[in-house]
Amino acid sequence: MFRGTRQGLGCFVGWGSLMDHWDVIVIGAGGAGLTAARHARAEGASVLVINKSFVGRSGATITSGGGISVAGETLVKLGYDVDGGDTEENFIHDTIRSGHFLNDQRLVESMVVGVGEEVSYLRDKGVRIGVTKKAPGHSSGRGIHITGPDMQRAVTSIAVKAGVRFREDFQSAGLLTHDGAVVGVAGLDRRTGEVEAIHGRTVILATGGTTSNWRLRTAPEELTGDGHAMALAAGAELIDMEMLQFLPCCLVAPEIWRGLQFPWTIGPQAGVRAWLLNKYGERFLARWDPERMELATRDVVAAASATEVLEGRGSPSGGVYLSWAHLPRDVIDNFPRWSKSYSMDWRWQGFDMNPLIDRIRAGYAIEVAPAAHFSLGGIRIDVDGATGVPGLYACGEATGALHGGNRLSGNAGSQMLVQGRQAGLAAARAAKSNTPPVTGQNWAELKETIEAPARRDRGIVPLEVKQRLTGLAETALAPVRNGVMLGKALEELRDIARNALPELANRTSDPGYNRDWSDALECQASVPVIEAALLGALNRTSSLGAHQRHDTTGSRPERLTHSITSRQGDELVYKAEPVKFSLLAPAA
Amino acid sequence: MSGAVTIHIRLRRDEDAARLTTFELPEPSVAGISAESWSGASVSTALQYLQRAVDPGLAYSLSCRRGLCDTCAMRIDGVVTTACTVPVHDGMVIEPAKPGIFLRDTIVELSLVRKARIGPEGQQGPVAHD
Repeated sequence: MFRGTRQGLGCFVGWGSLMDHWDVIVIGAGGAGLTAARHARAEGASVLVINKSFVGRSGATITSGGGISVAGETLVKLGYDVDGGDTEENFIHDTIRSGHFLNDQRLVESMVVGVGEEVSYLRDKGVRIGVTKKAPGHSSGRGIHITGPDMQRAVTSIAVKAGVRFREDFQSAGLLTHDGAVVGVAGLDRRTGEVEAIHGRTVILATGGTTSNWRLRTAPEELTGDGHAMALAAGAELIDMEMLQFLPCCLVAPEIWRGLQFPWTIGPQAGVRAWLLNKYGERFLARWDPERMELATRDVVAAASATEVLEGRGSPSGGVYLSWAHLPRDVIDNFPRWSKSYSMDWRWQGFDMNPLIDRIRAGYAIEVAPAAHFSLGGIRIDVDGATGVPGLYACGEATGALHGGNRLSGNAGSQMLVQGRQAGLAAARAAKSNTPPVTGQNWAELKETIEAPARRDRGIVPLEVKQRLTGLAETALAPVRNGVMLGKALEELRDIARNALPELANRTSDPGYNRDWSDALECQASVPVIEAALLGALNRTSSLGAHQRHDTTGSRPERLTHSITSRQGDELVYKAEPVKFSLLAPAA
Repeated sequence: MSGAVTIHIRLRRDEDAARLTTFELPEPSVAGISAESWSGASVSTALQYLQRAVDPGLAYSLSCRRGLCDTCAMRIDGVVTTACTVPVHDGMVIEPAKPGIFLRDTIVELSLVRKARIGPEGQQGPVAHD
């Protein structure tokens, strides 16, 4: 039998054996999870990273635009030739103002102060870094650029070299607990169909956002909020879950292009004066931001577009029109000459976009709509990634309140790196003083819940429930919401929880690669995640940033509050908690 | 023309021999796909539809849907490419990227961390560390 050292693997005696344990288990292998894993290893912890599919080939990091915000003065210290007059304080203030003061200001400060060190580390590791000269929404250039695939490759290889171990195709579905502390994770090995418990002294949730619960989205397939659901069940809180960032001007059709932000990147985002039009041909942004029009901030453009659709002035596919027809064709033809993102052959990411460009050249508008892009709300943490539940940490897009009500470009990259480090260090240090984990008291119960869809001979097809859930989120939690729709959605969701979840059944008995089974577990996770967002949205009765209410007239409540949801027995409960302004208060 | 198309997928599960199986895709509106024709939908969308409506055991991988993560790499009409970026056409042939690393149906072993992996299909013993 192997006896590991503290630097090694821990006592590893067999798969699924309750005697095994790791110092730190990280769930999720995107930028935040792998950064956490590296830092935990550097503290001497044994680290296992668990991922739902292939490590390095899933998660949102790969799809990221690649921006990482860093204050100019920090970049100058690192030797970059940028505007050194841009201070950390400016960066903090920009982030809080753009977040409509809903940010947890301690998290903002931690990100701003901590990001330089992480960037310096990546540069020393030879990662290709570009410097951003002008970043939208920031008062300065403020930032660097590492493409999504480059970043994912870098954090993966760095983690491997650091001695991190991996478990792939393992779908985590519940946290093991003992006397209120988290002692590991239970889940499904998707390859074999085994349901297993993996024990650890600490667990870090780095499972990304919840954007896969929407149909039109920029995000990858797997972000159902598994970590959020596990955190809730273990006693952690979710914060501001109604806050979801939509990226305006994404393609709605055809299917193969749905959710691509291509039109946005050759339009308003690039400063190209394309027009957004409703079915009457009106430039409706005149009603929202007459000065900046289509160049308004993305939360405004998203809300304006969604309002046109809601009020019956949209295009046939449920969007609005983005048009370049008033511009000479040269503007489009010469765009790749000055854009860094495009080559003359109009290939974008994995696609040949020539057919779309031909339509634009021929004078047609393109149908676009806001797509679910980034979860601003999430698991509540402190600056060390601690959730308040002993042994449980979280980092990256899975967490909430750093960005408040709207996120500046590049801040997700900084969040991922800094929160990854904080959670990795804190979990590794906590693991040193924790006693070795004992068997999770809830293991039998979790195993039962995870295996249930495979045991039922007949029942409801999981994908049908998944489609109901995404349809419900898409409609009620759109960029523009109203109380009636939110209330109806909550009723339907609770009906699904009561009547559909207990009936989910796999259609094939083959345990390995059983997609129905994975879908069923994702449905179980999505329900509380969507419920928390609905509760937040219902209770926030006025508009704020990414949360726009169509049924109120914009009067602000006297006190700005966070939406906090937690589990009490079988129920999710909501409470409002005043926002603290430790660094910057809104002007009276 | 009805808009229905026929595609061929090499399926292989467990120790079975691989077999090329023919599937009919009804026109997109019937399949619940928002495209005027299947040329507006990707191979990944077709696989999703088939798993949902025809063969619940069909295995495929999909993540980013934009040709970046490569998890959906497979051999399409003889060329290894990403299924999420290739439009469907009548008569197309879909196979695992490489027979030697096949796991199930269209899924192949694409792990980037194989040597550092633990678990039933990874390394079976403790791993030396640095």
